Amino acid sequence: MAPRENSHEPSGTPVPVETGFATLATLRVGTKAFVEKDGEKRKAEILHMRSRRGKPSFYVHYEDFNKRLDEWIDADRIDLSREVEWPAPEKPEKKKSAPSQKNQAPSKSDQKNLKRSRSKAEREASGTPDSTSVNLPGKAQRPSKAAGKENKEILVTSELPDGSTPKLEDDDIDMVDVQDAAAAAKSLPNEVYSREDEIEKLRTSGSMTQNQTEISRVRNLDKIQMGKFEIEPWYFSPYPTEFVDSDMVYICEFCLGYYGDVTPFERHRSKCTLLHPPGNEIYRDDYVSFFEIDGRRQRTWCRNLCLLSKLFLDHKTLYYDVDPFLFYCMATRDEHGCHFVGYFSKEKESAEGYNVACILTLPQYQRRGFGKLLIDFSYLLSKREGKLGSPEKPLSDLGLLGYRAYWQEMIVDILVDGRVEANIEDVGAALAMTTNDVLHTLQNLNMLRYSGKGHCIVLTDAVLEQRERQKEKEKKKGKRSIEPDKLIWKPPIFSAASRTWNW
Amino acid sequence: MTQRVTGQRFRQRKLSTKQNLPVLRENEVEKLVDDDATRHIPRVETGVEKGEEIEHHLQAIISAQAAGTAPSKAAQLYIPTPDAIASKLQYDDLYPRHFTQPATYIRFSSTVEDCIGTTYCMTSDDVAFLKGYNHKKGKSVQCSEDEFEEVMNFLEETSTTKQPYATVDNAPVLPYEDMEAEFDETIREHSRRFAKPIYEHWKNQRLLIGNRSLIPALKFETNLETDDADPYVCFRRREVRQVRKTRGRDAQVTEKLKKLRKELEEGRYLMAQVKRREVLIRDQLAQDKLIFQQRSELKEIKRKLSIKGDDEELLINQRPAPKPKPKIDVPAPLRGIPGMGQKAQMARPDGRLLDPDLVSHEEQVAKRSEMIDGFVEENLMKHQKWNVGWIDQTWRPITPPLEQPAAKSNFRPVFTSAQLPTPPASVSSEEAAAEQMDVDQENKQVVPRRSARFRYASPPDDVPFQEQARFRRRTGRGGRFMVDRRGLKRQKLESIDERVADRFRYADDSSEDDGVTDVDHTDTLHIRYRIMIDRQGEKQHAQAAAQNRRSVENHNRSASGHLLPPSQAG
Repeated sequence: MAPRENSHEPSGTPVPVETGFATLATLRVGTKAFVEKDGEKRKAEILHMRSRRGKPSFYVHYEDFNKRLDEWIDADRIDLSREVEWPAPEKPEKKKSAPSQKNQAPSKSDQKNLKRSRSKAEREASGTPDSTSVNLPGKAQRPSKAAGKENKEILVTSELPDGSTPKLEDDDIDMVDVQDAAAAAKSLPNEVYSREDEIEKLRTSGSMTQNQTEISRVRNLDKIQMGKFEIEPWYFSPYPTEFVDSDMVYICEFCLGYYGDVTPFERHRSKCTLLHPPGNEIYRDDYVSFFEIDGRRQRTWCRNLCLLSKLFLDHKTLYYDVDPFLFYCMATRDEHGCHFVGYFSKEKESAEGYNVACILTLPQYQRRGFGKLLIDFSYLLSKREGKLGSPEKPLSDLGLLGYRAYWQEMIVDILVDGRVEANIEDVGAALAMTTNDVLHTLQNLNMLRYSGKGHCIVLTDAVLEQRERQKEKEKKKGKRSIEPDKLIWKPPIFSAASRTWNW
Repeated sequence: MTQRVTGQRFRQRKLSTKQNLPVLRENEVEKLVDDDATRHIPRVETGVEKGEEIEHHLQAIISAQAAGTAPSKAAQLYIPTPDAIASKLQYDDLYPRHFTQPATYIRFSSTVEDCIGTTYCMTSDDVAFLKGYNHKKGKSVQCSEDEFEEVMNFLEETSTTKQPYATVDNAPVLPYEDMEAEFDETIREHSRRFAKPIYEHWKNQRLLIGNRSLIPALKFETNLETDDADPYVCFRRREVRQVRKTRGRDAQVTEKLKKLRKELEEGRYLMAQVKRREVLIRDQLAQDKLIFQQRSELKEIKRKLSIKGDDEELLINQRPAPKPKPKIDVPAPLRGIPGMGQKAQMARPDGRLLDPDLVSHEEQVAKRSEMIDGFVEENLMKHQKWNVGWIDQTWRPITPPLEQPAAKSNFRPVFTSAQLPTPPASVSSEEAAAEQMDVDQENKQVVPRRSARFRYASPPDDVPFQEQARFRRRTGRGGRFMVDRRGLKRQKLESIDERVADRFRYADDSSEDDGVTDVDHTDTLHIRYRIMIDRQGEKQHAQAAAQNRRSVENHNRSASGHLLPPSQAG
């Protein structure tokens, strides 16, 4: 769909530059410059550029900060008094786009090239400055054989009629850039998967998490409206390409359907009769309910859910369909219906013994203890199944903190009951946790030590103090927890047929 | 990091996860100056991606936790996330309060498609178009929003099915004629009226965006080379796991398919038959209604033309087998008397109607008893006529209920003497009698039933009237009150009984068998005996008991005539 433009032949061989001074006009994608953020100057990488009414703006990623803090900034926040790092030159589609210039070089090619080019980029991280390219504003990228680019097409198609050639007016036309350089720069060499490897891994293991190569690095939605809230998305999600233009995407709180405008959304609301997640309620206490939803039976709803959660989960992939997963959705209830608060997905059969694939509390409900309930519930299911479980890796930063807090609380609770000795495997079995996770937790809390005779578990003062604080807080605020006897659930069994016919 | 690797590393360090380790408090462990030993335990990976593990906010928190930062400060540390703020939309308008929580856990299997009605939702362009359209049209041909969406949805869906790759090969927008040819049940009749003008609008909208779908859609795989690199392509099918092909498996699959097919056919046939039945019922109801209406019309006409005739036959559905009416022998004046008609046994026990030509024994008996009844009735009327203006003071008036009630109610029976040996049964005497009769069903219908009118003035069944104490108040000459009594029982016997009872009052506590007759509770004779007592006078005890015993002994014999007291409840 994206126009293929091969007319801009490279005017010269780019020579790599490491650092140098830049002007606004010479900034290009992949450049790392210092950007003012909350009163500090931080190194940021330009991922995307566009120009609206003659004013350029830049989508930047702050180095060593999570991607969810990536943002659009105006040119005046870029500190041009300091040297910038130019992107590695081997990137085939380096193009600098000045506001006066618009270039498009969509190129599609297989990922092998990307991998190759990336590793090359790593190798040549300290190339020589590319003065030529800096000085030639009209330079365009080569019609690359490299770089599967991820974000380009969207922007083109959304702005331009199908098949037409981009016009040269810069106003209101998004500049289209190539991000593979950025992507390459970010990943460390030792974790580069080939795309084939990754897809194979996805196909065979059913993993929902995705590797860097898959990630589209620029957020595509500005804002979503859902229930009583307006939420800023954190990451890219493959909602219909039309939505890139919407100021706000409206999401129905019950069916999770998506609408690019308020009129169709209101029409939808007048017709939608769903009042809770469309599955069986398997748990209910006076605070929350849990619904079990089969991805195969509720394909539309689960797809909607995945699209939504992708907005907040960096490593989630929507590459494959939702069929092999069960979704456990937590909701609070009132007269309006059951409000979806968070969920975790779980493979129907996990070869690696994962009990959670993705887990998310919607941002509007975060920092209220719902995450702990979700985690607790996932372990309760594992206990019912008689299995040990562990969340699928990689964890996000928030995921790691959430799990660590939960693990710590559970393990310390068991150890503090006055026993004089403990067995790591038994502790794991009692909590449906894998041995490795128990070990991880003990170690992280510095509770596993070696004294003269051998290893021992130490209930450190810090851990005990934190437990006291926790109890104090629970006394004050009330403790929310999952009550096992309110779970009415049997582990679902999937017949061979349902697996064979699985697509 | 896999379990295996961890295990390996720990085995080297001699840390076993299976061994019990001592749990100690910090003060119980000697401070290790040299933390070399701790280093023997390898770090377990966090599970966070390496690139992200070093992120500023995460590191800040992790190190704060590791350092055991003061609670107040640690609480302030968190990973900042983009905002979620309250929306300006009117939540209550969009999400009405429709939810009531069921008492049991919700079970639900409808899909989103089932719940959202028409998929197409109007855009603001559509709203403007519809407003303009309706403005031009008269009140009668207003297009509602629902109808509009229905048509739009139809156009979208038809276009998707007919031109699945419209976006790829730049196909022209489907002409209206093609659309019209596709009309099916998804588009209702009254919505079709608007199809043409809406089509024009739809076409314009499609052209504006290069004949792509008006409903924003996700990108699915198109099997083009570009798919893999496009992050918008999502939810790909997972390849089906290839099953090894064997002949046995093929046969199995064929069998399964055949079976499924057969079951489906059967289900379909069942449904078709059910539908047929219901249609027939509907037709029948319509016919009945028609008949009814025409009859009432006929009635009107007859009334208008003042034709007198047998309305019943015209206006009431005749039963296939008309009642054999035993009116031939019954005198005409008796016909109209209510309660007179003897219920003829119309059906066999299995519910089938009797053959009208067949003269059954029951009928004969009924006819005869009716004749008798009729005769008695006639005489009774005659007697009544004689008695007009007189009070029948004879000992046993023939027509007590028809005479002045005072004559009867003057005597008030007092049931002092007839103590029931058991509390009265809750069943009516007739039922009791019927039960008794069950022994010999053949005779059940043969027993001459007597009209209640005959027994009305008779003494109650269970007490022989001679034994009943009765009182009558009379007003004599000069306004004197007189009380006549009859059948008053002397209390002698009873007082003796009382004394006897008194004698044992304090003695029977310990001995249960004292003065108590052994009773075999399973013995029906005993029960029958009791019933007999209920029904007959004490004087007849011996006789009745004897009869009863006999009847029980030979219960195949038609003995019920004896068993029953002469005045059986009817």
